[in-house]
Amino acid sequence: MASRTRRVTALAAGALAALSLAACSGGSGGGSSTPSQSGGVVEITMSHGYTDVEDKAITAQVAAWNKSNPNIQVKLVFNGGNDGALQKTLAGMAAGSMPDIAYEYGSSMAALAGRPQVVDLTSKVNDPAFNWKDFYSFERDAATSDGKVYGIPALVDNLALVYNKKLFDAAGVSYPTDTWTWDDFRAAAKKLTDASTKQYGWAYVADGSEDTTWRWLAMLWQAGGDLVTADGTKSAFNSPAGLRATQLLHDMAVTDKSVYLDQGNGNYLNLFNSGKIAMMWTGPWDLSSINADVSYGVQILPAAGGAHSSIAGPDNWVLFNNGAAREQAAWTFLSWLTSAQTHGAFTMATGDLPTRESETKLDSYTGYLAKYPGDAVFVLNLTNVTKARPNTKTYPQVSQAIGSQMQGVLIGQTSPQDALDAAAQQADAALASGQ
Amino acid sequence: MTTTTSPAEVPAARSRPSLLRRVWWSDSLAGWAFISPTVLLIGLFGLVPVVWAFVLSFEHNDLISPGTWVGLDNYRKLLHDPQFANSVRNTVVYTVIFVPVCVVGALLVAAALNRRVRGISFYRVAVFIPVVTSTVATATMFGWLMDPDFGLVNAGLNKIGIASQGFFRDPHEALFVIVLMTVWGWLGFGVIIYLAALQSVSADLLEAAAMDGCTRWRAFWRVEVPLLAPATLFLVIWLTINALQLFDEIFVTTKGGPVGSTTVVVYYLYVQAFQFFNGGYASAIAYVLFLAILVVTVIQLAAGRRFSYGQR
Repeated sequence: MASRTRRVTALAAGALAALSLAACSGGSGGGSSTPSQSGGVVEITMSHGYTDVEDKAITAQVAAWNKSNPNIQVKLVFNGGNDGALQKTLAGMAAGSMPDIAYEYGSSMAALAGRPQVVDLTSKVNDPAFNWKDFYSFERDAATSDGKVYGIPALVDNLALVYNKKLFDAAGVSYPTDTWTWDDFRAAAKKLTDASTKQYGWAYVADGSEDTTWRWLAMLWQAGGDLVTADGTKSAFNSPAGLRATQLLHDMAVTDKSVYLDQGNGNYLNLFNSGKIAMMWTGPWDLSSINADVSYGVQILPAAGGAHSSIAGPDNWVLFNNGAAREQAAWTFLSWLTSAQTHGAFTMATGDLPTRESETKLDSYTGYLAKYPGDAVFVLNLTNVTKARPNTKTYPQVSQAIGSQMQGVLIGQTSPQDALDAAAQQADAALASGQ
Repeated sequence: MTTTTSPAEVPAARSRPSLLRRVWWSDSLAGWAFISPTVLLIGLFGLVPVVWAFVLSFEHNDLISPGTWVGLDNYRKLLHDPQFANSVRNTVVYTVIFVPVCVVGALLVAAALNRRVRGISFYRVAVFIPVVTSTVATATMFGWLMDPDFGLVNAGLNKIGIASQGFFRDPHEALFVIVLMTVWGWLGFGVIIYLAALQSVSADLLEAAAMDGCTRWRAFWRVEVPLLAPATLFLVIWLTINALQLFDEIFVTTKGGPVGSTTVVVYYLYVQAFQFFNGGYASAIAYVLFLAILVVTVIQLAAGRRFSYGQR
């Protein structure tokens, strides 16, 4: 599951290229009208960023489709890595050449929604045959912007607690349970920390990016808080719940010193592998990178007295408008690709999580759990995801404000209340400007 | 006797201008043809974006939809943006430390390498390797070396009784670690420039100095260093321009953190343009930076001419 590979400078290069391209043909709308119909055969293009097993699986599925559907021929195009997918799509849009279907991060939805080149799928998904409600509710929320649906969930993941059993045994700490509270979690992390051997109870990505923010968001939701007000015009996280979440970070990282602060270079996973970190909050994409000799367990996240809330980052397939014939063909193909049967087969090959609830009722599901034992908790955990990050253009600014301030809290430079005040002020300014 | 030229020469004289013109034209055409790919590419990828960004800087523009004209709004906003002020401060601090350290360091290393020592090519290559090492590789290496918990540097410091440092994790140290990292990466470039310049210093001058009773150190300081002034001027300008545009190293290490302590101007521009999609605002930042670089370079050139011994 290398779909979440770390960003490299390629992203910057891609982004700059996007700017130059955008500059060249500033905002010329409309799709390219290359005739790709000949004798009733419609050719469509799908761009994706899958690598390794996922790449193999999707290639095989598309080949199977092309064989049995001579009238709709699908061409797969690698987008160079999903981290740059949005930049690439926007550049293509400006240049008037777009794929028919593209893989996009959930966080890109706000930037895509409402553009004339992006197909509004609302009426299509409401076709009863498509069974839109079968997708988990947070996935549907993440694919929706301003009440309109612009994406079909392609991949879903969520955060759970992954722990190293050997370190728990050695420290005489009992394994995490599904009734763990923050207090249990904090106490365990403290006991699992040993300054002399540089062993840490927990790891936290403290680079101030969305990586920092989304883990904090899970804690905010566990404490019963919200990111923004219901109408989305003001921040709502500078609240007692926000303070509790931030205080926990401070208490563990600064008071207990039980947290390894990752600089965003992914060292935490290497350190987990070498037995220096006992617990991490991470998603299924990291499981394949855990060494075979590390015995690990997966548990849902602790609760702050209420729900064991988690957070998910669902990614989407987005359709682009290249004429009615291609749009119809793309939709026909995509409905097949995202059906429970097809996606169920995809998860079987890759270990990805089901995107539709009915996939867990397929006959093959028991085989899936047997093949990927670590995934069982992640699948269960999907029901703990009850909220989605807002699909607004200002979200990146809100995220940056929080991430940067939490960085200050984690390194002991800023007090939790000061951090929240500063982040809320910055977030409110961004929300008010509406940019 | 108005005409002394032979009849044969007259037609030649008459046809000369048109022939010349033809020759001139064909030459010029060929010349333009030869450079046209470059002109086209530079025009397309250099000039067009430059002009376009200038237009953008007067708009609210998310880089895709048609923008709205807002006049000087973006520039006015810049004046009151504390995050922009912070990025300017960080950039100035970085540049003011990075450029002198790099120039002086390169001069000393070049002087040390400008002798006949066994295995000199090895040392020269060793000094130059960081220049051609990719930024990502350099950053990964420094990330591990300077890791506050598991890094070699802190292990060494602990051995000699100094407490562990936060490095990239400490807002008061991160920018200086970036300086260290970029000096390591740029030093070899300066050394190459200085080595070339040192080799063009006439041995006669050094011999004359020695005969006048000048010590080796004084000869270096009083004869060689002044003669290196053109190289120094070039390096200072070149390094300053690059320092003011620092981006890659920040992008792959600290992402502007912790708490904004390494957010430099170009990184802030990137965040505005490609994370927040405020294309107009980012273009305004780009133009302010461009003007700043222009002014600094002109001042450096003017100052450089005063102290340069190059023309004598």
